Amino acid sequence: MKLFEYQAKNLFREAGIPVPEGRLVGEAAELEDAIREVGVPLAIKAQVLQGGRGKAGLIQLASTEEEAREKGEEILQKTGRGLLVEKALDIESELYLSITPEPVSGAALVMASAEGGVEIEEVAKERPERIVRELVDLWEGLLPFQARDVMFGLGLQGDAMKQGAAVLQGLYDLFRRHDAELAEINPLALTEEGLVAADGKVTIDDSALWRQERFSPDRDHFESDVEFDAAGEGIPYLRFDGDIGLLCAGAGLTNVIFDLVNYGGGSVNSYVEFGGPNYRKGAKALELMMRSRPRIVLVVTFGTIARADVIAEDLAGAIKDLNPEFPIVAAIRGTGEEKVEELLAGTGIEPLRDTEVAVEQAIELARAEGARA
Amino acid sequence: MSVIIDAGTRVLVQGITGQEGRFWTGHMIGLGTDVVAGVTPGKEGQEVEGVPVFDTVRRATREFEADASLLFVPPRFARDAVYEALDAGIRKVVVLCEGIPVHDLLRIRKAALSEGAMVIGGNTSGVISTGEAMMGFFPYWIERVYRPGKIGVMTRSGSLTNEVTAQIVEAGFGASTLVGIGGDSVPLTRFAEVLPLFEADPGTDAVVIIGELGGTMEEEVAGAIEVGSFTKPLVASLGGRTAPEGTRMGHAGAIVTAGQGTVEGKISVLERAGALVADRPSNVGRLLREVV
Repeated sequence: MKLFEYQAKNLFREAGIPVPEGRLVGEAAELEDAIREVGVPLAIKAQVLQGGRGKAGLIQLASTEEEAREKGEEILQKTGRGLLVEKALDIESELYLSITPEPVSGAALVMASAEGGVEIEEVAKERPERIVRELVDLWEGLLPFQARDVMFGLGLQGDAMKQGAAVLQGLYDLFRRHDAELAEINPLALTEEGLVAADGKVTIDDSALWRQERFSPDRDHFESDVEFDAAGEGIPYLRFDGDIGLLCAGAGLTNVIFDLVNYGGGSVNSYVEFGGPNYRKGAKALELMMRSRPRIVLVVTFGTIARADVIAEDLAGAIKDLNPEFPIVAAIRGTGEEKVEELLAGTGIEPLRDTEVAVEQAIELARAEGARA
Repeated sequence: MSVIIDAGTRVLVQGITGQEGRFWTGHMIGLGTDVVAGVTPGKEGQEVEGVPVFDTVRRATREFEADASLLFVPPRFARDAVYEALDAGIRKVVVLCEGIPVHDLLRIRKAALSEGAMVIGGNTSGVISTGEAMMGFFPYWIERVYRPGKIGVMTRSGSLTNEVTAQIVEAGFGASTLVGIGGDSVPLTRFAEVLPLFEADPGTDAVVIIGELGGTMEEEVAGAIEVGSFTKPLVASLGGRTAPEGTRMGHAGAIVTAGQGTVEGKISVLERAGALVADRPSNVGRLLREVV
């Protein structure tokens, strides 16, 4: 679960990491007070999860209250979401600092660079020698010498080095405490008053939300109602802009089907994966699919736990109840597959055995439907 | 022949009295697996499929020696259950569940590395040595999918595995051992760590890996071939070649970020190392016939 910037900064503040003074504004009526309280010059920042906010005009600077009001109202209107009104910083230089899981060694990976403000991947590709790395053992935690090593590696000295080490310690603590998959400060601004986290990203591990009760994704975290509802059901759902809806069990299999559709010149409308523990949610999955309005739906399963007979029975029932308008192509195989033909009788679906045959049929049908529309 | 488990492996099942534990323990025994004991706290004295149940792993291993433990426990208890097995001296552990917190996976991985133990999973169907033994769940009774043979298989997926093994069988081959590495972003055992076992196994002629976008496991396999530590033929089937960047494709580990973890990149290093890459599951069998 990605956190909004203001949420990440709340965590920074709690961890003792300096952040700019700011106010969160939910609607235009609150803008005036926020601007006066914080005082110009200001940074006005849309609270949306998409990247590239700067380029999209969703981060604006304002040197007068008048300008701040105009720009604030404009951004509020554009996004329909909250915004952060922050004191603008007088920045001498920008650093980068992040912590992520490192799967090979089973550790946390600290990455730091003296080139803040740009994507770390860009630095990694162009000037890998500029990135300082440090592996942290989760059992021992971040040791003081490691934090010093990173900061000296960035070229910091004296008080700035000490403050940088404290910031890294704070970032590591919140990474651990909140089960983060990403804890990033970019840029970490070097100002006359010291280091300040000018922007930040924190992603909480979805698998750990049960013990991170403070965080629960709400509607604001999703682009659409369908995505929000799918997440509530625990069903992986992705939206694309093509024709064919993939209603498949098993992520690995779905990814291959996704490729086969694209190889064959078809296009994917949406991806609803109801395998594993979700295999009895066929009806819910079909409903999510109907809300995505595909031209045609392709059902492919080859499950062990995700039993073919259960899936076929649920699907037949759901078709009867929901009466979808689109044609369905299905290859339902795995445990109990011998019963599939009988269970699908009366649905108009011809049960197929071969994945690639099913994909080809779906692509052809989507084309025919497209021509008719 | 096989790797990791065979008919002689003495298997413990943690979480044996749950619905899935019960059901699949029956199937494991049905295939010939030597399930010596089960563990569920508070259920000591019961039996499941004739297997005695104990309160703790220590109590179970005091009466029955075990070489490996299979975990049917929910993700939030996985770390504790793995440690309980390691603490009792068990050095092969298979953990099936999906959704183990990433920080727990990191700590388990680190503990396993320092103990010299092989912990396999999570988010996997487990391990099966066809015709010999099974730890996990595979529809081994469907003959067009699972047949004993001399192809080692490693996979990051479940359903896709059935799809690919069906192609292996159709091409006239079968599997020696199938290892479910799993779909998590922190696999507790990695592809390249199983390769030496297949290399040493006289019952394995070639290896098929079923990978996908995200992470670096396929690249590590290419590295092992390149340095000559793995010398048998290897065929890779990789999903997610056309997936958009930045989208998590179902599995926690299936995501390309900033150009890292693309299938394109994996294919190029695997082919450069001399591995064969199937552009679709149905080509796996054909490629195997070329090299075996």
